[in-house]
Amino acid sequence: MHISKIHIENFKIFKGSFKLPLSNGMNILVGDNEAGKSTIIEAIHLALSGLFNGKYLKNELTQYLFNNEVVTEYIQNLEEGNSAAVLPHILIEVFMEGDDLDEFLGDASSEKAATGFFLKIAFDERFQPQYEKLVKLGGIKTLPIEYYNITWSSFARDESITPRTIPLKSALIDSTSSRFQNGSDIYISHIVKEFLELDEIVEVSQAHRRMKESFMDEPSIIKINEKIKSAAKISEKKVELSVELSSKNAWESSLMTYLEDIPFHFIGKGEQSIVKTKLALGHKKAKEANVILMEEPENHLSHSKLNQLISDIKSGSADKQIIVSTHSSFVANKLGLENLIFINDLKRTGLNDLSYDTQKFFKKLSGYDTLRLILCKKAILVEGDSDELVIQKAFQVSNDGKLPIEKGIDVISVGTSFLRFLEIAEKLNKDVVVVTDNDGDIEALKKKYDKYLGDNKKQSIEICFDEDVDTGELEKFNYNTLEPKFLKENSLEKLNKVFGTSYEDDDSMHLYMRAHKTECALNIFDTSEELSFPKYILDAIKQDVP
Amino acid sequence: MIIAAAGSGKTTHLVNEALKIKDGRVLITTYTQANEAEIRKKIVEINKCIPEHITVQTWFSFLLKHGVRPFQGVLFEKKIKGLILVNSQSGLKGRTRYGQPIYFGEEKEFEHHYFSNALKIYSDKLSKFVFRCNEKTEGWVIDRMSKIYSHIFVDEVQDLAGYDLELLKHLFDSNSNVLLVGDPRQGTYSTNTAPKNKKYRKANIEKYFFEDDSIQIETDRTSLQINYRSNAEICNLSNKLFPNMVATTSGNQTTTGHDGVFFVKKSEIASYLNKFEPVQLRDTKRTEVHTGYSVMNFGESKGLSFDRVLIYPTKPFLGWLNNNNSELAETSRSKIYVAITRARYSVGIVIDD
Repeated sequence: MHISKIHIENFKIFKGSFKLPLSNGMNILVGDNEAGKSTIIEAIHLALSGLFNGKYLKNELTQYLFNNEVVTEYIQNLEEGNSAAVLPHILIEVFMEGDDLDEFLGDASSEKAATGFFLKIAFDERFQPQYEKLVKLGGIKTLPIEYYNITWSSFARDESITPRTIPLKSALIDSTSSRFQNGSDIYISHIVKEFLELDEIVEVSQAHRRMKESFMDEPSIIKINEKIKSAAKISEKKVELSVELSSKNAWESSLMTYLEDIPFHFIGKGEQSIVKTKLALGHKKAKEANVILMEEPENHLSHSKLNQLISDIKSGSADKQIIVSTHSSFVANKLGLENLIFINDLKRTGLNDLSYDTQKFFKKLSGYDTLRLILCKKAILVEGDSDELVIQKAFQVSNDGKLPIEKGIDVISVGTSFLRFLEIAEKLNKDVVVVTDNDGDIEALKKKYDKYLGDNKKQSIEICFDEDVDTGELEKFNYNTLEPKFLKENSLEKLNKVFGTSYEDDDSMHLYMRAHKTECALNIFDTSEELSFPKYILDAIKQDVP
Repeated sequence: MIIAAAGSGKTTHLVNEALKIKDGRVLITTYTQANEAEIRKKIVEINKCIPEHITVQTWFSFLLKHGVRPFQGVLFEKKIKGLILVNSQSGLKGRTRYGQPIYFGEEKEFEHHYFSNALKIYSDKLSKFVFRCNEKTEGWVIDRMSKIYSHIFVDEVQDLAGYDLELLKHLFDSNSNVLLVGDPRQGTYSTNTAPKNKKYRKANIEKYFFEDDSIQIETDRTSLQINYRSNAEICNLSNKLFPNMVATTSGNQTTTGHDGVFFVKKSEIASYLNKFEPVQLRDTKRTEVHTGYSVMNFGESKGLSFDRVLIYPTKPFLGWLNNNNSELAETSRSKIYVAITRARYSVGIVIDD
């Protein structure tokens, strides 16, 4: 049993409708900050558990759950005197696949006949008269959230379902937040409870009850009660010290999870994540399935712990649905690139959306560079390491000594695979600059990048190369790579200084630079000499490019 | 389908059959809420609690939950606010100047045909709506039901009527095992009075399933024919009401000193009530009874057992008692049958002094 798709409307960052298909097994959400990764995880957890930020949302509805723009539009509408302004709602639809889910089949979904359920936070029509009065009075500045309620319904319009009766359970492993340092980590008790079978839960609560009853029979407690009884003149009725047995799940709130004698909430966030993950992975119930939701597992974990956690998740993912959000290319790479879902601009792209060749290429590639492309704000693609160093230097010089990465710009050497990277960048709408040699044939270059130049120019993709074709006397020498262009821009004298050499003519310098590419690049990177850079390099590092 | 006599333990039989099933889920459904409660009680008696795999639901709430709601979208998008019980044909639009009723049509005035102004679905149109939903989705409604419930048991099937029967027919064709239990003699109510399948209503339900050759149904007329509740004399009287049906025999040999059928003069009611404490049974609320002793309408008493009853007969019933060939309407006959067969030991019938 698993979630096959999630549909979110007007929840937090998502304005309007957002749909995300999910696969059984591993799903890795990657993308920029603010791209909506965490919101997706929050939405799934909310729909499955009723919990938001570790609390039951039912009594904590606020306007801030709603997409801000949607609320603003509603209020503007009202202010413009349009009393028929439609009250915004939040909808989270969970589409499910698996056995024994026929009760969830119906046509109350956004896709007509489907299996699943939805959570809706919407205006409660019973308050229509009050709301009408409110509108007539005018001056509504916020969403009238007091007239809203939250309901669950299966696609078969069965509104009696609750998180308790939904066969999918969520285990949220959230190492990012420090929200729950007050000690009552509801997630762990939630997860522990899901781990237990029904008869085990009954046994625990019975034992808890007996424990409390024996507490009342303790001679010292009896004595104390006698004392209170005789002293209490407040009321005619019996006053007594007792323990609370009335609430339905008393044991959940008063029992505490310990890890080697240390209360769970006192141990490190990292260790907590590992324990929670293992518990959630160990969940094996016949009629229920567990969806593991994990937010940025790389936080709070040392590298070796992270490694351990990831191998745990990986081995558990065979029969479990796992949804992980991450910023770490290490994590994503380890969990399997084929499971990546890129969330960008509140849209999504899966690896499956890329051409077959590109997919194959990236599956073969270590993956690390792909992820750098996906995770950065902007990328500068270069051919080799020496080009990379020169670009870094050029950037530093014009940015008060800051490296590109400090501004979210990643310089990636891609060898000859420019076009493959561009395909992904285009799909992701990622800002990318290509810095390439013209190799003495501008026409061939223009042909190669035909899809990104001239009339086909893409807004987010810039191709930078030197417009001039240089020639010289050396045979079998390419005058149109970075090194000769760099020499052309600076003087022979300056470069001799930088490299600690004493060549007397340009061609000797050319040959030296070709033979010592990396060394020269390092010298350039480290030097404090004032350097000039070719125009196409400067174009590439301009902040507003593309 | 099991044709069962009153007091033969059909609910117990049904519950036992349901408890035997280990694979799959069982729905036990019946028309009246009283009988639904009785079924629940029976399960708890036998099994201590209602097991997870058994669902007990009235026919109407079953239809609303699994018939209407899942695919209502193909017919009607608005939120249906529940069910409204009606006793006669619903959806009255107005009257002609001769006083003839005019009803909302199904095609052109769909919403008013099926729903009240408060968007509650009329009980007499409920099964028709389900039937239409199933038609429009090419069988998804029935398919979904049969996927959820591997076994569907219907108690007091004689209460089902109109499109209910069409739905049952579809369910027979589905993968679910369907078990119907009923007593045509006890046709006191109908889920609806719709013109559809009118001739098969109540006592004639059995015929419905036999006149259509396409329906493969096994009928058991013998295994539940012993009335364990009532003694022989009471059984004999009840058998006389339905001379064309297999006579039931009594399985109750206990004697108490006041056993059988007795006439009670009006003037002696008080002392009779005081002495034997029977439950008073009457046709409708309009019949005057002695307050201070428990009382019930004939229809309400269906499915229940009492040691002794005191019946306030209707005129046609008195006529019939005098002469078994005198006219007695079908529903009246059924109600009286129900009333008589409630008693274990004695039936008192009130007569004028």
